[in-house]
Amino acid sequence: MFDTVKTSDLSHVGKNGHREDTIEKLTGEAMYVSDMLLPGMLHAQLKKSPHARAKIVKIDYSKAAALPGVRAIVTGDELDYRLGLYVVDKRILARGEVRHFGEAVVAVAADTAEQARAAVDAIEVEYEVLPPVLHHMDALKDDAPLVHPELGSYDYMAAAFTPKPGTNIANHTKLRKGDVDKAFAESEWIIEREYSCPSVQHVPMETHVAIVQWGKGDKVNIWSSAQSPFTVRNLFCHAFGLSHSQVRVQVPYVGGGFGGKAGIGIEPLCAVLSRKAGGRPVKFQASREEEFSLLPCRSALTYRIKTGVSATGKIVAQHMTMYWDSGAYADYAVNVTRASGFSASGPYEIPNAWLDAYTIYTNKPYGTAYRGFGHVEFHWAVERHMELVAQAIGMDPFVFRLKNALRPGSLTMTGEEITEHTGNVIKCLEEAAKAICYGNLTDEEKARQKKTGWKIGKGVAALQKAPAMPPFTATSVVLKMNEDGSVLVNLALTDYGQGTYTSVRQIVAERLGFPLEKIKVAFESDTDRDPYDWQTVASKGLLLSGNAAILAAEDLIKNAYAVAGEILHCNVCDLGHDGDKIFIKHHPKKSVSFASMAVGHALPNGNGVGGPLIGVGRYIAQGLSNLNKEDGQGNPAIDWTYGAHGIIVEVCEETGEFHVLKIASVYDVGRAIHPEIVRGQAIGGMLQGLGTAICEGYIYDQQGRLLNPSFTDNKIPTAKDLPLEIECFVVETPQVDGPYGARGVGEHSMISVAPALGNAIQKATGAEIMHMPMRFEDVWRALRHKDPIDNWITKSPIGSCRSAPEARPNG
Amino acid sequence: MKIKVTVNGQLYERDVLEHKTLLRFLREDLGLTGTKEGCGMGECGACTVFFNGKVMNSCMILAVEADGATIDTIEGESRGPSLTDIQKAMEKNNSVQCGFCTPGMVMSIKELLQNKAKPSIPEIKEAIEGNFCRCTGYVQIIEAVLDVTGRSKEKGELKHV
Amino acid sequence: MVYEFRYLAPKSKAKLCAMLLEHAQDGKLLAGGTDLLPNIRNGVFRLKYVIDLKQLPGAASLKYSQQDGLILGPAVTINDVLRNRTARRLYPVLCDCAHELASHQIRNRATVAGNVANASPCSDMAPALLCLGATAVIRSATGQRTIPFTQFFAGVKKTVMLPGEFLEHIIIPPAASPAAGRYLKLKRIAGHDLGIVGVLGTLQDGKRRFAVSSAAPTPVLVENVAAGDDESTVVKKVLAAVSPISDVRSSKEYREHMIGVFVQRLLQEVQ
Ligand SMILES: Cc1cc2nc3c(=O)[nH]c(=O)nc-3n(C[C@H](O)[C@H](O)[C@H](O)COP(=O)(O)OP(=O)(O)OC[C@H]3O[C@@H](n4cnc5c(N)ncnc54)[C@H](O)[C@@H]3O)c2cc1C
Ligand code: FES
Ligand code: FES
Repeated sequence: MFDTVKTSDLSHVGKNGHREDTIEKLTGEAMYVSDMLLPGMLHAQLKKSPHARAKIVKIDYSKAAALPGVRAIVTGDELDYRLGLYVVDKRILARGEVRHFGEAVVAVAADTAEQARAAVDAIEVEYEVLPPVLHHMDALKDDAPLVHPELGSYDYMAAAFTPKPGTNIANHTKLRKGDVDKAFAESEWIIEREYSCPSVQHVPMETHVAIVQWGKGDKVNIWSSAQSPFTVRNLFCHAFGLSHSQVRVQVPYVGGGFGGKAGIGIEPLCAVLSRKAGGRPVKFQASREEEFSLLPCRSALTYRIKTGVSATGKIVAQHMTMYWDSGAYADYAVNVTRASGFSASGPYEIPNAWLDAYTIYTNKPYGTAYRGFGHVEFHWAVERHMELVAQAIGMDPFVFRLKNALRPGSLTMTGEEITEHTGNVIKCLEEAAKAICYGNLTDEEKARQKKTGWKIGKGVAALQKAPAMPPFTATSVVLKMNEDGSVLVNLALTDYGQGTYTSVRQIVAERLGFPLEKIKVAFESDTDRDPYDWQTVASKGLLLSGNAAILAAEDLIKNAYAVAGEILHCNVCDLGHDGDKIFIKHHPKKSVSFASMAVGHALPNGNGVGGPLIGVGRYIAQGLSNLNKEDGQGNPAIDWTYGAHGIIVEVCEETGEFHVLKIASVYDVGRAIHPEIVRGQAIGGMLQGLGTAICEGYIYDQQGRLLNPSFTDNKIPTAKDLPLEIECFVVETPQVDGPYGARGVGEHSMISVAPALGNAIQKATGAEIMHMPMRFEDVWRALRHKDPIDNWITKSPIGSCRSAPEARPNG
Repeated sequence: MKIKVTVNGQLYERDVLEHKTLLRFLREDLGLTGTKEGCGMGECGACTVFFNGKVMNSCMILAVEADGATIDTIEGESRGPSLTDIQKAMEKNNSVQCGFCTPGMVMSIKELLQNKAKPSIPEIKEAIEGNFCRCTGYVQIIEAVLDVTGRSKEKGELKHV
Repeated sequence: MVYEFRYLAPKSKAKLCAMLLEHAQDGKLLAGGTDLLPNIRNGVFRLKYVIDLKQLPGAASLKYSQQDGLILGPAVTINDVLRNRTARRLYPVLCDCAHELASHQIRNRATVAGNVANASPCSDMAPALLCLGATAVIRSATGQRTIPFTQFFAGVKKTVMLPGEFLEHIIIPPAASPAAGRYLKLKRIAGHDLGIVGVLGTLQDGKRRFAVSSAAPTPVLVENVAAGDDESTVVKKVLAAVSPISDVRSSKEYREHMIGVFVQRLLQEVQ
């Protein structure tokens, strides 16, 4: 919508407006759930499993129950509920068996946190320890223990997923395009390699927290640091068999989410405690350690790619197998597999494709959505692969990328045709390359290399992502005019820092033709008062809610014009307006102010006309379809955002130490609604991507205990870890159905940072790294052709970090 | 144990549990919830406050240790109607996303600027290395500090190509 | 903390020693608390008493005299050292190590004495104290004893201090000319982190010393380097003194390699 209007012709869109939430956050006034205390509120603490897999033989909480201040104790045995969005496979508390280290077994609510902790310590749980299955490749073996023996009895969304009862496979996604066998037979080269990455934690600075009050008459009030209030409500009602009118979810300011707070989390746990404690509100705030092992993480991935290339360097066939380690529960992880499946080639044209993607249960903390929704992980593989394929066939990797990149007329793997409006990945690649002077070293760089003895290398990597959401995903926005003619915007999409509300505000102001100051977006989201939004995920927020906001603004104006026509005794089609009033275009002095109509207008004789002015906008994703479960063909993507990173790195060959000297990031955002916010997303995501690339990841011992569930040994990047130079660019190929041509970019900045770095390190030193993160030691090992240190997980059967280059001329 | 502590210029006399951290005392006993807990382990800096004029992690201090001390928290900034210069610069430079790290960040920057009128970029990074921010990637925070010290020329911007 | 305990803050050394004896089993000293409080929070220490030493007279005193050298009370923080002109001028090596420790906020709180009393293998202050020939003044109810830091560490998180004893002062001897040196600390990120390995190399009055952290149960001093030793001999001598392990931060092999590289770098840089 309005995608063809030039930015220079717009008043608010494309400018760096003020962010409404900033002042409260800067002064400490912003209220988060962690800050909230309710009268009579109890504090919850949990007894958690010290084992990766064990039978719960006996739970004795008699001593704990007798301690002072203890108001409720619940165990899994009394909770016959299952939770889930896509595969309903998780219990509120472990029942019968624990499936991962850190899983909640018993919950206690007491007057104070100290009392709850003392009670937890007094609870005795007897376990019969069972052999866990820890590596996802082991979990596929015939004799592997089953993490969910009763998988066949679980509910799941059948239109999209295929669990395999009797195995550890929670979902098998297939994609078949063209004739792969024939194309491989005709290929000049065939290159097959394997890549991997571990589980990673989102690390929102505010850990998961919720307060729930289960009141009389089963009226449930939930305050949660959740990303998606309506989805929390929906899943909560399903689990407990309550009507949606009995449950209210409120979300105030949220201290970061990154996907970890999508779906449903700890709300049911607080709810059952509150119910048992006679309706007193119960608060549970995860400790940082619990954030790592009790709450979900990002799935680990092993990705095998076999590529057939023609004599001219065109990819003709690709065979792809993804093994996603969902951990103990696969509810959300199956959708990561599905979304990664249809995007698995990256932004390249693959005429003949064969893909199998498996979501695999193991006895580890469970995976969920994380910024990029699988794309960070598999782009690591794909973009390293492109580099290695190019190297194997003797072509420059950048040239190879351009040759195979999607362009108008190309078909994606699901058969969708790329058009002039889809976005321009080639331009992104070219600009990223230009920004780092790809291909050679400047004189300055040569001098630096000489002085330090460290080798400088440059690499690029491209990226793509479309929102992963049901094809009928919808949202709505309601505008209410206040007595003074200002406008309040209500929506249930949440803004936990990404700045969407600021952009929505600009869009509303733009479409209304009002000054920005007259528009307020209400910050707290509330399922009782806000109109529906599915979830705040998938980088779909601005696109869907932005469109709904435009439609709501148009509706408000239409309603106001109808009243004004009555007041001014004129045709509605003759009316015009500015930020204050509606007037007759050919008699501009004849006007009526918005303020005088906002809540109903009084005519001079006292008669009332109109009524409170509101505008409603609804938007539902258009033209999307379920993917065919046999061949994966269909239309899954409302918009594709493309991008590329270029990285300059210097590496010490003796030690594997490296510094990122520069990173240049380019995205085709359609239109930057608020350039500084786009830049904030670009840099924030880039640094998160760098964290994933250089240091983050779960480390387990042989029993499946997480060894690094804290910042002591799970580092995240600090200000000192920034690259020396950072540049951000946008390409603007407007999205026809995006608000003012915009498309999402929240997740994309994190994707492909790691492979760009891997490619640059390889260029500098020749180190072929197939496993991320790339710690200094990994680089050192790659340079010495030693086996990578395999401490991310117990021994992998096929050496998930190893990968023999099988470049061979065909035939 | 009874303590007397001056917080943001106001004297408080309170009976406090001896095992309680200063962070929890500020948040729970005094209702000053601007100071946040991100880890409780001294790593993340969300709990940064001034303790007798120097920034420290309030999760690593017992409330009883603050007996007789002067504490300054985010609530003590901008006591008038307008923001302080640091806050203004952070607002202008889009330095805030989810805001959870922000109060601690403001404290660290304040101490830095008290000791050094025009810190270099490495000095700024060093001053905030103990303040984790998962959202912003720090750059726009660093730019706010440059801005407040009159060096806005060094700021980057989104380039359209 | 979700674990309850009592707080004691004795105002005299005699009282402190008495309390330490009385609570040898269920109490611990509190200096900056940056090691103690995380351990209590995680349930590693289950204490009934926490005994604060910061109210002792002179606890935070940092003095220098030409005769005795630099004397640090038990409440002197890392940043107290870094802010002290004399320390920066006469003991640059001490400051180099101090600067590598944790973040600015932690350095405002953490003490030098707490750092070594904690006896972590990855202590960043120990290398400086070892290379500079510092001594620990240990006090108990019955008196004082002084031992060099080379004999202070007894194992992982263990010192030679007995129940009822505490580290009253750290004394770093005066020197005709400041020791030249540099501390190389390998970390996982550029931001604050515990070391994978740390090597301090100093040169004072023609004598080279190396001290290594995170490479053995205790920080290690290597003094047997001779002026005529070539690089590989020095590396061998240092490696002979340490016994690195594999853990979540690194493998033993890489630690050994990096110690060797750091020693070589220090031999070239510290002149
Ligand atoms: C986020 C973070 C990062 C850190 N990074 C580093 C790092 O990079 N390098 C590093 O070396 N350390 C690091 N540490 C550990 C810690 O900060 C230091 O070891 C610090 O110097 C300890 O001093 P303290 O005064 O806080 O000790 P405390 O916690 O008060 O005490 C430590 C231990 O020593 C005992 N003790 C204290 N003083 C005495 C005394 N005078 N006599 C006898 N016993 C005593 C206490 O009972 C306790 O067991 C880090 C800690 C945190 C929380
Ligand atoms: S909460 Fe204090 S440092 Fe993280
Ligand atoms: S703004 Fe979210 S952590 Fe900094």
